Amino acid sequence: MNPNETPAPAIPHPAQGLPPLRISRTRRATFFTLVGLGTVVGTWLMVVYLGEGGLGPLELALLATFIPLYYQLNVGFWTALAGVWLMNRPSPDTLDLWQTLSPEDHHAPIEASTAIIMPIYNEDVTRVFEGLRAIYLSLQQTGQDEQFDFFVLSDSDDPSKWIEEEVAWLELCRQLKAFGRIFYRKRRKPINRKSGNVSDFCRRWGKRYRYTVVLDADSLMSGRLLTTMVRIMEKNSGLGILQTFPRQIAAETLLGRVMQFAQALYGPPFAYGLDYWQCGEANFWGHNAIIRLAPFIENCALPPLPGKEPFGGHILSHDFVEAALMRKAGYAVRLLPSLRGSYEEGPPTLIDMLKRDRRWCQGNMQHIWLLFAKKWHPMSRLNFLHGILSYASSLLWLLFLVFSTALAALPSGRELERTQTAEQLLLGLTIALIFLPKTVILLDEQLTGRMFKPLKQRFLTSFSSVLDTIIFTLMAPVLMIFHARFVVYTLLGKGVNWVAQRRKMSGGVDWVEVFFTFGPISLLGIIWGVVGWFISTNFLLWISPILICLVLSIPMAGIVSGSHSGRRLGLFLSPEEDEPPTVLSTMEQNLTEVNDRLQLQPELEKYFGLLQVCLDPYVNGLHVSLLRKRKNIQVSRDYLDTLADRLVREGPQALKPQEIKAMIYDTDTMTHLHYRLWSAADKDLAPFWFLAIRQYNVAATNPFAHLLAQRKGETVRLSA
Amino acid sequence: MDAVTIEFAPATGTEKEWNEAYARLADYFRSYRLHNRIRRTQLILTTLGLASEEHAKDPSKSPTQHAINQARRMMKEWLEEIYVDIPMTDTQIEGTGRLGFFLSGGPDRWPHFFLDKETLPHDMAEAMRNSVRESGPGLQVSKMTPRDIDLGLISNVAEEGLDRFGRHPVVRYSVLIVLIGVVLGYLYTLLQ
Repeated sequence: MNPNETPAPAIPHPAQGLPPLRISRTRRATFFTLVGLGTVVGTWLMVVYLGEGGLGPLELALLATFIPLYYQLNVGFWTALAGVWLMNRPSPDTLDLWQTLSPEDHHAPIEASTAIIMPIYNEDVTRVFEGLRAIYLSLQQTGQDEQFDFFVLSDSDDPSKWIEEEVAWLELCRQLKAFGRIFYRKRRKPINRKSGNVSDFCRRWGKRYRYTVVLDADSLMSGRLLTTMVRIMEKNSGLGILQTFPRQIAAETLLGRVMQFAQALYGPPFAYGLDYWQCGEANFWGHNAIIRLAPFIENCALPPLPGKEPFGGHILSHDFVEAALMRKAGYAVRLLPSLRGSYEEGPPTLIDMLKRDRRWCQGNMQHIWLLFAKKWHPMSRLNFLHGILSYASSLLWLLFLVFSTALAALPSGRELERTQTAEQLLLGLTIALIFLPKTVILLDEQLTGRMFKPLKQRFLTSFSSVLDTIIFTLMAPVLMIFHARFVVYTLLGKGVNWVAQRRKMSGGVDWVEVFFTFGPISLLGIIWGVVGWFISTNFLLWISPILICLVLSIPMAGIVSGSHSGRRLGLFLSPEEDEPPTVLSTMEQNLTEVNDRLQLQPELEKYFGLLQVCLDPYVNGLHVSLLRKRKNIQVSRDYLDTLADRLVREGPQALKPQEIKAMIYDTDTMTHLHYRLWSAADKDLAPFWFLAIRQYNVAATNPFAHLLAQRKGETVRLSA
Repeated sequence: MDAVTIEFAPATGTEKEWNEAYARLADYFRSYRLHNRIRRTQLILTTLGLASEEHAKDPSKSPTQHAINQARRMMKEWLEEIYVDIPMTDTQIEGTGRLGFFLSGGPDRWPHFFLDKETLPHDMAEAMRNSVRESGPGLQVSKMTPRDIDLGLISNVAEEGLDRFGRHPVVRYSVLIVLIGVVLGYLYTLLQ
């Protein structure tokens, strides 16, 4: 791309891309009328049921928890139905962004410069760079890759990971001849985490590009979708953010595959449904989206929230806020319900999922501050509310059950026929709201064969859908307890640390971890059951589905986190597993090649990055040449010398990560350390280094080839 | 190609020490991926020769230490010749130069000229100079300044309240305990 290209000037009155007010108002009026109607009917039935002997404080409390829960249930129900309708309507949707492109547009050369950025934090380096390679090659196949640059934006604080990232970056650039196209940036201080990392990119290089595509470390996108997104942005100058709907891929555990399957089957109708009523005020999910940079830089810098973390301070779930700010600035935020081309990975185990949810919960709870802020678009406010409700509803559900238990313990006297009819109607309506969307979506799949054409696979899809309903039903009460706990923790001021996410299972299920995590949940289920038994057999029967799930949480968590995922039986199959897209199969082939390699001794493997930067003259050279020379170092030279001496004599295990970091940030220390290690007498070397010096040359025939696949066709000599 | 002649008789140091130095130098030059063993042996012997002279002057350092120091000195002098016109600090020249040799395909293409400052093939020097790499493109700095969000009256009141709360975690927990107590007390009275 042309480095001096100036991005398009900010548009004062964005028009194209912002859906006509008439259409969005009509859609929302329809949607929220239906949601409101469902909620009112449910609430009325509940009032009839509870009000037989008058509404006391307990009944009112129960009702207060019931209304938001029922509203949420209705939103999900009508979103799914709207999506199914949109997917099957005979004439194309007037707001469909794909329709804004003419057949000629798909072949026109792309002139807008786009940066594909991937903020990372202590991620699996091979996965990150092999994913990037697959995207790069996929873009190359479109013939429109000239205008795209890639940035890996690292906040990794694990010294070995940092070095591995540098090595993998260099090797990828070497193999793809992509120096000057793929860039690597390591921040010295990870201020404001991921959003700070993106802002840092915007401040440094934002002016060079018209658009940026934000990826997560586990994202994968096809070149075709990327070029189409740029074309849609070019055609719709009022679009600020275009969010794709990422499909889950590469799951290996039962939980991962069930979620992958559920997302493949139910995800598209929900995405279409969201697009139906969100219109130009959709959400940004933080990745797999394209952003118009000029208005983003101008309007979307995030101020800290009042108060301290976790409730205040740095905004964790930055994406929702950025979407709201973009909309506030007059630009549309749209969801592109793409069926293919945008992918991500999910958490492998239930515990990993809960860890992720803990972060997301805190991020969403922070948005309470923003609910009442001035000048938001009402839909942005509603998006915040839905985000908050997605976690707060667990606490509400728990309270609902607690109040129900209390109410059941009281002499009820609900004997009128009217009360009993209301109870039965409410039960039937609730079951319909929960299960009807799934049934309709499944029916739609059986009729259209959108996922699979062969009848056998359609049958297996139906069977898998029944199984996934059972699995999610078993998990739901457990998730409720955890999410409720997360909400309370956040309200009490207990924050979360920024930790790297585990995206793959290493080894089998850790039953000890499962036992200690879910043991209290099982105990709670047992105690609740005993209380219920004392209250009445009827009540115990009513609440038993919930209690059984709680009691069985340990085996359930272990089983869903295991590798028996039903794949051999053809269950939970997703289209991406059946026929992997090129971008995915490229990445998976390369990952298999790397995983099949001989590994060094575990001790050496653990510190491989550090080992390389200290021993290998080329990796040491790479690291030193990428480091900026610091004018003033924050620690004394003597301190660094002492650390280097300890590293040589005692090995990396003896040093704290921050001590290793202090050394590898300093160019002089790293250069001297290289020679210091090689010149130390055998007796002065830690056993780690003694072993490393003897094994390194044998293990690493090419210093940069350890982490990436060696694709011969792509390997080139730079100097040629 | 020069003939490999082995004339090495250090005046100081023990045989064991010089054997250790030899082994370390062999590993060290191997880490440069110089697959040409003859060139490696030449380099080892040259370096050991220089190291033995230095060891005679300063026997407080081990032969291994002298050997690696000599290898470093040779490297610096060689790289300074190549990067003579590029402004860089000593450590940058060392780091960038070593990497440049690898990126230009030096270990396979010019193993015989590695550390040979007397004979610098033009194409090798040029390729090494061209291999200076940067991890990011030139900056084009923009301002991205957060603007305050007017949180409205409710949030402002809540902020003040939370600020007071935040200063006293005991208060937060006390409020929670009182709330739970009230609910339990109410339930108790209902059940009576």
